[in-house]
Amino acid sequence: MGSIALRGICKSFGGIEVIHGIDLEIANGELVVFVGPSGCGKSTLLRLIAGLERPSSGLIEIDGRDVTRLGAADRGLAMVFQSYALYPHMTVRQNLSFGLENLRMPKAEIAARVAEAARMLAIGDLLERRPAQLSGGQRQRVAIGRAIVRNPTAFLLDEPLSNLDAELRGTMRAELAALHDRLGATMIYVTHDQIEAMTLADRIVVLRRGRIEQVDTPLNLYNRPANLFVAGFIGSPAMNLFRTEARGGRAVLPGGIDLPVPADGPVVLGIRPQHLHPAGPDEAGIPAELRLVEALGAETVLHGITDSGEPLVAVIDGQPAVTRGQRLRLAFDPADMHLFDAGGRRIG
Amino acid sequence: MTGLKTFITRRRGHGGRWHWTDVASWIWLIGGTILMLGPALWLLSSSFKDPAQLAEFPPTLLPYVQRVAEVEGFDTPLPLYTVTLPGGETRILAQIRRLGANAQMVDPADPALRISVPISQRAPLREIGLATANYTDPFLHFDFFTYLRNSVFVTVTATLLTLLTNSMAAFALSKYRFRGRDAVMLVIVGTLMVPLSVILVPLYSVVSRVGLLDSLWGVILPTIATPTGVFLLRQYMLTIPDELIEAARMDHASEWQIYWRIVLPLSAPALAVLAIFSVVWRWNDFLWPLIVLTRRELYTLQVGLNSYAGELNVQWHYILAMTVVTMIPVVLVFILLQRFITTGIAGAGLK
Repeated sequence: MGSIALRGICKSFGGIEVIHGIDLEIANGELVVFVGPSGCGKSTLLRLIAGLERPSSGLIEIDGRDVTRLGAADRGLAMVFQSYALYPHMTVRQNLSFGLENLRMPKAEIAARVAEAARMLAIGDLLERRPAQLSGGQRQRVAIGRAIVRNPTAFLLDEPLSNLDAELRGTMRAELAALHDRLGATMIYVTHDQIEAMTLADRIVVLRRGRIEQVDTPLNLYNRPANLFVAGFIGSPAMNLFRTEARGGRAVLPGGIDLPVPADGPVVLGIRPQHLHPAGPDEAGIPAELRLVEALGAETVLHGITDSGEPLVAVIDGQPAVTRGQRLRLAFDPADMHLFDAGGRRIG
Repeated sequence: MTGLKTFITRRRGHGGRWHWTDVASWIWLIGGTILMLGPALWLLSSSFKDPAQLAEFPPTLLPYVQRVAEVEGFDTPLPLYTVTLPGGETRILAQIRRLGANAQMVDPADPALRISVPISQRAPLREIGLATANYTDPFLHFDFFTYLRNSVFVTVTATLLTLLTNSMAAFALSKYRFRGRDAVMLVIVGTLMVPLSVILVPLYSVVSRVGLLDSLWGVILPTIATPTGVFLLRQYMLTIPDELIEAARMDHASEWQIYWRIVLPLSAPALAVLAIFSVVWRWNDFLWPLIVLTRRELYTLQVGLNSYAGELNVQWHYILAMTVVTMIPVVLVFILLQRFITTGIAGAGLK
């Protein structure tokens, strides 16, 4: 079992509050990703759950049991640190068995668990090496192995892939997903990389300045961002946002596109770059002058600027014949549009 | 070998010519070598000279011993001299005894014939040799082994206790956050500025009151907590990532286990440095043992060496020889532990 609940968690360091009342329920076996810009409190939140920090107020429950006052060791959780934090003076085997020895587990069982974890992670032939003799990916595996042998209620992973090169990161991401499927254990994963978040998560928790902005499945976050911050944070390149004024249920975009909106007053219209396409002759489009054309082969990223000076990014399939400095009109399907009120909250 | 040759003959000047910086660096290096190594070599060479030769002026660079010869009719070998006879002829004669300004000599080849020679006309016949008695006598006739045992006991015990207590203090001061931590650190480092001679009297009365006078523990215990050691270890432990300690905490390690199994092994290079310091300090300690110890059988080597210098008569040959012997452990410690100084193993498991 491994359900985790946070109730009204606040944390301040020396008078500065960094976590402002977080409420969150994590179901058993779920892989939840904390994502957000740096300084948003995602690592602090993970450390609070781990028991490495104590909340200033609020409750942490694991399987319905209040563990707020319990030390890190007694919560039955395992953590994979960003720097891996392998003990440099111990061999891989010693690194894996250190925690079990501290629990005074019989030697035979320690050996069995280490062997099982080594088999699962394919690090069997590295057991007698020291961390310094391992590559980044191997160290990463050992760090995960150290968590697995403990047979924890939940895994906490603090940016575990951030020290790996791009290629290895992709492989390890797939391995982590496979591992989660196999173990079926609860995992909380902290990252600032939205690709990791989108591909791994059952649910994503988007954090900003110590508050939860939105909790939902990856696709719901993408399709229905709850506010401007999530809209801008999830998806790459970021969503195009146009500030405009809605009058009588209609709003006008640059280029004279007139759209029906269920609101009045100042609004923000959002349209993802992937939903823009060159306008046909009869179609209304946003005119823009291209400043940069990034041809990626399968798709082309166009960076433009509208007549009113607002930046506009569009991702077009294939390899359209456009050049820098060219003027282009870009159209979209109104169904793909996102609408936010003046406070940044989603409308509709 | 060729690598060594190219290294030694490397010049800044082109085509094998000497740039002035080559000359300067050679002079500097050779001068430095003489300055650093000279006294030690001089000590070594002098420790093999007999008392008469030590008193000689001008001094000789190498130790010499006088040649002796067995002469029929004499129980002990007689010293040989080169003698200039009145006729201008030089001969090698053995001296039987000296009488005032004359010496009674004998020709080893013709023991029956006695020759009286003015001492200004004879020069000792010497060859390079070692007066090993300087070394053997203290071992055979004095309490050298007792002193050695005491010194070893004091050095080893004090060093182990120093490493243990200082590393525990450094661990607390580097890895725990508590009110007044920096103040405590400041006070500890502040005691660096208080020399032993200032606290000698109060320290003496403390040691006297707890009944440790004239005991080796009275030498050991006041010296084990060193501000240098705490500071050195703390600065090193600050470089051990906190994540390692947090990982150990997640691994159910007790605070003692974190200290003993994680922090201490990772501090090995700093511990080695402190061990070297501590061994040298305790081994060379003179003033404090001299004050605390009064019974001869408790003397450490340094205090024991001092007993060769009597009120009226200093036995330099023994002092020099025993100084060489006393230096050996310190030199060995440096040779064996110096590699630890440069090896840092912490951080290897990170990134």
